[in-house]
This record gives sequence, C-alpha cells and structure tokens, in this order.
Amino acid sequence: MNLPQGRLLRQRVLSSPETVLTGALDRRLTGYARLEPQETLLLSADRVGVVTFVDGVPVAAYHTAPDASGTDALTEIASSGPYRLGLYELEESALDRIHESESARVPPEMPARVLGGDQQLIERTRQRAPNDRLESESNGRDSLAAVEAFLENEQQIEAIRDRAQSEAESRADEWNLPVE
Amino acid sequence: MVEVFAVASGKGGTGKTTSTLALGMALADDYDVTVIDADTGMANLLFHTGLSDRETTLHEVLGGDEPVEAAIYERFGMDVIPCGTSLSGFREADPARLREVVATVAEQTDVILLDSAATLGSRSAVLPIVLADRVVIVVQPTIPAISDGLKVQEYATTYGTGIAGVLFNRVTQDEGIDRVSDKAQQYFEGEILASIPESEEVREARRASQPLLAYAPESEAARSYRNATDSLTVRDGEEGTVADRFRNAVIPEL
Repeated sequence: MNLPQGRLLRQRVLSSPETVLTGALDRRLTGYARLEPQETLLLSADRVGVVTFVDGVPVAAYHTAPDASGTDALTEIASSGPYRLGLYELEESALDRIHESESARVPPEMPARVLGGDQQLIERTRQRAPNDRLESESNGRDSLAAVEAFLENEQQIEAIRDRAQSEAESRADEWNLPVE
Repeated sequence: MVEVFAVASGKGGTGKTTSTLALGMALADDYDVTVIDADTGMANLLFHTGLSDRETTLHEVLGGDEPVEAAIYERFGMDVIPCGTSLSGFREADPARLREVVATVAEQTDVILLDSAATLGSRSAVLPIVLADRVVIVVQPTIPAISDGLKVQEYATTYGTGIAGVLFNRVTQDEGIDRVSDKAQQYFEGEILASIPESEEVREARRASQPLLAYAPESEAARSYRNATDSLTVRDGEEGTVADRFRNAVIPEL
C-alpha cells in the first residue's frame, strides 16, 4: 500500500507509540504517521508501520514486512519499539484509497487500545470521532482483550523473540559483551 | 549467600524503581538487602528514598573519586546506593566500574537489587542485565510493554542471565488480568510473580520521598509486592565466589 508523500511536520525517536496518537489528536492532524522500528537499522529489514488520521482521529493502519493491515498492523507496530517517527500532513482526498480499504480501517479508539491502553486517550479519541464512525466501527473490545489477542498469536510472539535475540547477539558483538 | 537481581523493563513508566524498592523492603524481612541505582543516565532511586540532597552517590564511585562505602546509606531497613542526577557526574562515571561495586557489595549482603535503565539501547543500560544472576521483568499489561519485557528476556538469556519472574504492574482493570497473565506465562521463563494494581498511594509515596512499603504498608499494592516476594526464592551463592565472578567478569573497556 502506497501513500503520496505528505508534508513532514515532525521527526523524532520515541519509545512509546501512544505519543504519536496524542500528537496527532492535539494537532487535529489529517495525514499519517510513519513508524520505523530502530531495530530495522540494526537488522537491515524493511519494516514500517503507518497510521492515517482525519482531524486527529485514526482511520486506517498498515504494516510492511510482515504485511499486515488494520488491527493486525497496529499489533505489529505496538510490539516493535523504539521507533523513528515521522508525522506527515496530507490532503484527506489523498488518503481516500487506503480509507476505502475495509481491511485497513480500524475503529477510532483501537490504536489507543492496542498501542498502550491509556483510558484518557481512548476517551479523548472517542469524543473527537464522528458519531457515524463510533456507531458503525467501534466494536467495544477493551484494552486487555487486545492484549489477550496479541498473546494468542504465537507466531507473532516468536517473531518478536527471534528479532530480540538477533539484536542482542548483534549488540554483544558491537559492545564486546560475553554471550552464553 | 548472595544473589544479584536486575529489575528491568526495557521501557519507561512501568514502575521499575517503585518495584525495586518494594521488593527490596519485602525481602529485607528475611535478608540483608542492598539496592543500587544502576540507571546512571536517569537516576530515580534517590527521589524515592529521601536521599536527593546527598553529595556522594554512585556517580562519584563510578568516577573513581569515592569508595563504594561512602555512597551506601541505610534507609528503610536496606542499604541504598543512589545515583546522582548531574550531567557532569554521568559523563565522568565509568559504567564498567559497576562490576567492582557489585563485587564489593556482594561480600557484605544477601540480596543485591539493580534498578536498571528503561531502555536496551546502550551498553551501559544493558550492563546490569549482563551482570545480574537473574532478572525481574516489570511490565504493564499492554502490548508495547509486554513486547519490551520479552526483549529484556531475550537479552538476558543471550548473556547467560536467568529470569526470576515477571511483575504485572500498574494494572487498572481487574477483569481480564488473570487471563492475560495466564497467556503471558507461556512465553516467559520465570513465574508471573504478581499483578500490582495502579494506585494513588504509589504516587503519594513518591511525593513523600518514601518507598511504597514504608508509606502505605497496608495498601493493596504493597500487599501484592509482598506476595510477589513469597514466590521469589533467593538462591544461595557464596559471597567470595560471587565477588570473584564479578571482579573477573569480562567487561572490556568502552
């Protein structure tokens, strides 16, 4: 899935993905956040997560390598920090294509639930979201249910562990640390 | 006997320092406990123990200016070695000297708790995990925090450090936490030691510069920490052997 390049508003390294959502909500961003895990640089993989927003409210998400969209993409993003974040502004019409993809769309508060579960952020997002989206898309799944679903995905957890192990070994090499 | 635990999370905001001191106070009922602030870049322990005005801290010891004994303070039934907050102290501190500090302390205590950095992004942040016998992993029941906890576990096992257990901290929802805890158990090598509820008492204790177990010993969170230490069996290690192991640990110069 490709988006036209937006206007870069902010670029930084962050460890908590929730910060992205707060930033987009505060700015009433229409555009997207691009999150690239820092380990990508270390392990030379092309892994990028994208969350789109309209008026600060999340609309869709996708992820590359592994290829995932919607809530699965959010889970992938949630488990891949710390990140290099880019926040981009883009015309809403340029986001139409991804917003028309049912598989990429997420309920307005779902990113807040999956990326950290902060209740205040969830409430603020719901207050800002248009009523028709709350009625048709919110599925009432709570934050711990999202965590449970994550823990049921053994394959994804194994991937996290494998990546962390490679990272630890690679850093041991770099930092000259003893490895068992 | 002596065993060295690193209390780590790989992520900020999980309540590592609160947990380190709570576990330390609970273990101090049965053992001589020393708590060391091993997060030399973002020291926190001193604010939780009323030691923010002390001039001699781990920074001065790691900088080679003071012996470790000068930075040990008896607080709340434990020996506490705080770290300073000045940038110059951080710059002059040689993290590799932590090995010598732990070796010296190991000769005079039963349990050493290393309050570790909230990141795995630098060599000095990872060092406590490399040096410890076992790690206590502190996570919140969120996907990012559990993922970071799993990363800490992989780093630890890669460097030959065991997993003592996992604390679910700052739990806001009672309903569902048992299911999350049960499901998480299959991926962690140590036991899930406890679920600690989010509580106002923790914030009040921090404001009062006291550990939770001193400020609100009867709170639900304090009780949960005590339960956690019931599941944490401290292993016997010969003082001399542990001290030698640390002195001889292969931690090359930066």
